[in-house]
Amino acid sequence: MSYLLDILSPLLQGTLVTLQVFLLTMLLAVPLGLGLALLRLSRRAWLGRLVSGYVWLMRGTPLMLQMLFIYFALPFVPVIGIRLPDFPAAILAFTLNYAAYFAEIFRAGIQSVDRGQYEASKVLGLSYVQTMRRIVLPQMVKRILPPMSNETITLIKDTSLIYVLAMNDLLRAARGIVQRDFTTSPFVVAAAFYLLMTLVLTWAFQRMEKKVAVYD
Amino acid sequence: MKKTVSMLLATLAAATLLTACGKKAEAPAAAAPAAAQAIVIGLDDNFPPMGFRDDKGELVGFDIDLAREAGKRIGVEVQFKPIDWSAKEAELSGKRVDVLWNGLTITEERKANILFTTPYLENHQIIVVTDKSPITSKAQLAGKVVGVQDGSSAVDAIQKDGDTAKAIKEIKKFGDNVTALMDLSAGRLDALVVDEVVGRYYTGKKPGEYRVLEDNFGTEDYGVGTRKDDTALMAKLQKAMDEMKADGTAATISTQWFGKDIVKK
Repeated sequence: MSYLLDILSPLLQGTLVTLQVFLLTMLLAVPLGLGLALLRLSRRAWLGRLVSGYVWLMRGTPLMLQMLFIYFALPFVPVIGIRLPDFPAAILAFTLNYAAYFAEIFRAGIQSVDRGQYEASKVLGLSYVQTMRRIVLPQMVKRILPPMSNETITLIKDTSLIYVLAMNDLLRAARGIVQRDFTTSPFVVAAAFYLLMTLVLTWAFQRMEKKVAVYD
Repeated sequence: MKKTVSMLLATLAAATLLTACGKKAEAPAAAAPAAAQAIVIGLDDNFPPMGFRDDKGELVGFDIDLAREAGKRIGVEVQFKPIDWSAKEAELSGKRVDVLWNGLTITEERKANILFTTPYLENHQIIVVTDKSPITSKAQLAGKVVGVQDGSSAVDAIQKDGDTAKAIKEIKKFGDNVTALMDLSAGRLDALVVDEVVGRYYTGKKPGEYRVLEDNFGTEDYGVGTRKDDTALMAKLQKAMDEMKADGTAATISTQWFGKDIVKK
């Protein structure tokens, strides 16, 4: 028992890193994803194709590879060569990658709104921005909550990939203790921490779903 | 409710940004090493007893103490940056770290990209098996599955021993030595080849579970590495190292961590 208390502090530090990566990624990737979805559905076909290419690239290569590329290879790329410290490199990779997945979820949400709604908005004299903000996006939010909850829970576990940049997230902190003390119990504690975090997320998404259900 | 949630999120995000910025400030990139006042030392922070984290999360270990002392003598601040050990060459050439100091074995292959100090520790590549294992010699590794840490010099040490290497059924590469030892206990692995200093640390943690064979995969030397063209820094490191060996400081640190003086003169 006292051993558990001893290892709690490094594991909590690791949890903080995990939460930082998670929150910053959500904060940046959700707006970026929404922007990408709107561009993809834009009337200018070349814009849509450009976004499709981006989504293909980001979903088609492993997140770990993207992170390694940004961290190790980017400094050697001519012209745009930039040497990012580990934390910003991780955030950039996660944001670019998750924005692609979010964009597809948002696109599905927007396209699920009936055409008649757009026509009705036009008749009412609403502009494109007004139609999107007041009519389409609120309906989209309701429909995308379940897939968003899925993706968000995946994200909190994917953050453990930052170990390749030697950043001490929850899982790597646990592994460090396993390697120091040669016992596997830190893994069990780390699992409990992850479960707790996903429990909070599940609960939060359920609440949001209930909230938007009033429009039914 | 909505307001409290969004306020909570905003506070959390702000706190995250702040701590993230704070982190950046305390670990500046290892740029322009010749003029810089600080040198950045890259290490595997999960490599006891050379470099690892204690209960409080502080970096400790034989190499850590030695590097701190060297920094004092050179008159520069020493910063430690944990790196993924299999990416150490990229970290060094990408100038994210200036020095590799973490039980780094001097090999001919590595000399092509890394400048080394003279050896400061002699190390053997030992063979660890479970206590119940029937294996008693290197020759009996024929047809067996042998584990190593990926990117460690154990890989080279086995390859150098051509006949044994050919007879081994499979060399399994692990991210770290502990997972390899666990695999050994689980019976999927027949033997593990590992640096003696590290192997002894772990087998000492679980007395009666493992056995170290008398045969080994040769002797090698630990050195401190810098970039090939960083000769100014290397000269300073070498001088500090020679002084530490001469006045007994290195021996004292060695006794602290290994119980005896194993520093190579």
